Amino acid sequence: MKKLAVLVLAGLVLVSAALFFPTSLAAHDVNECFENHQDCRENALNLDAPWYKVMLILTVCDLALGKCALAL
Amino acid sequence: MRRERSLIMAVIVVSLAVFAAARPADRPGVGKWKVVEVAVPANDSDEACLGRPIALALDADHLYIVDAQDGAVKIFSKDGEFLRAVGRKGRGPGELSFPSGVSVIGGRLYVADKFNYRVQAFDRAGKPCGGFSVPFAPDKAWALTGETLLVTSNPTGRPAAEKMLHIYDVGGRLRWEGLEARASSDPVFDAFRNMILVCPGEGGEFFVVFRSGERSILHFAGSGVLVGKIPVDERHAFQPIDLPFQGPNKRLLGFCWAAAWDRGFFYISAPALVEGKDLGPGRLLSVVSREGRLTASIELPCPVHRFVVEGGRIYAVDDDGGLRIFEVVR
Repeated sequence: MKKLAVLVLAGLVLVSAALFFPTSLAAHDVNECFENHQDCRENALNLDAPWYKVMLILTVCDLALGKCALAL
Repeated sequence: MRRERSLIMAVIVVSLAVFAAARPADRPGVGKWKVVEVAVPANDSDEACLGRPIALALDADHLYIVDAQDGAVKIFSKDGEFLRAVGRKGRGPGELSFPSGVSVIGGRLYVADKFNYRVQAFDRAGKPCGGFSVPFAPDKAWALTGETLLVTSNPTGRPAAEKMLHIYDVGGRLRWEGLEARASSDPVFDAFRNMILVCPGEGGEFFVVFRSGERSILHFAGSGVLVGKIPVDERHAFQPIDLPFQGPNKRLLGFCWAAAWDRGFFYISAPALVEGKDLGPGRLLSVVSREGRLTASIELPCPVHRFVVEGGRIYAVDDDGGLRIFEVVR
């Protein structure tokens, strides 16, 4: 009985993974993440703000890129 | 003997005291030029207001200021009176998405249309009249000759060996690319190290000034050939700042906030301390000869973000995004 439950659960995990990943990858365009990242950096570099502030914004741009690329 | 020693000691102490008390503007052997502010007309209309002025250019009769917020180039008389605006926000012909640089060649305005990835041309009446696409987000566009434009880009940090300078002819044909971006494992630190300013010289030549870390100015011929490095007088001092990049704090040596070239001289504004720990735009301009010698200092009444110089006039944008005009008195 236990074995059957484990097999069913494993099967469900595999099926959901198979169903989830293709649609997820199709919907999630990493190039768009890079384009947004570049826009973010260009905005920061053209802010003409004091450098500490620019550094913080550039760091936020990089964190946002990571978050976007990993689809978090 | 004892009296002579005392005298020598007194001279040393007095010299040290004078040296220590000297303000940055009081650099020994360097002339101090004064400025007189020219009153600028009120320019009260909405269209005349500068939301985010990020680049200035001059021709014989006009001052051009790029307003990234309004997606337009605002044209002023040389006395600061607003005349008209060219372009509006958008993606179509004649529309601009984050314009960031402007230059005038043969009566045509060439605008670096950053997020449309193109350089767009306008005629004197403000009608779009061509331009060309570029494979990067253009940052600034500078007229080198009547035929060629220097377009700069900020490196994205993705591909290796990215070039920051690109020379195009006015038909959009790429003639030359160069100046490889500095790259390390810290993209934020690299972004600062790759901040450059360009000063077009005479006859197509141009100069590249790094905003931090580099005291030398790079001198290029109009063809893109590196002619040499101009070491700048050490009396134009670095302003150090410690920033928490990846890992422990890294020291960034701020050299220049903005720069311009006029009639054989560089005008370099030194960054200034903001609230004791940050670096922002300063009030002090160093006038540096093309050999790198500090010739004079100019202390402005306010910090300036961007400026252009022509003859004895400095056209600048202040902290509030307002246009200020100063007459230099030597």
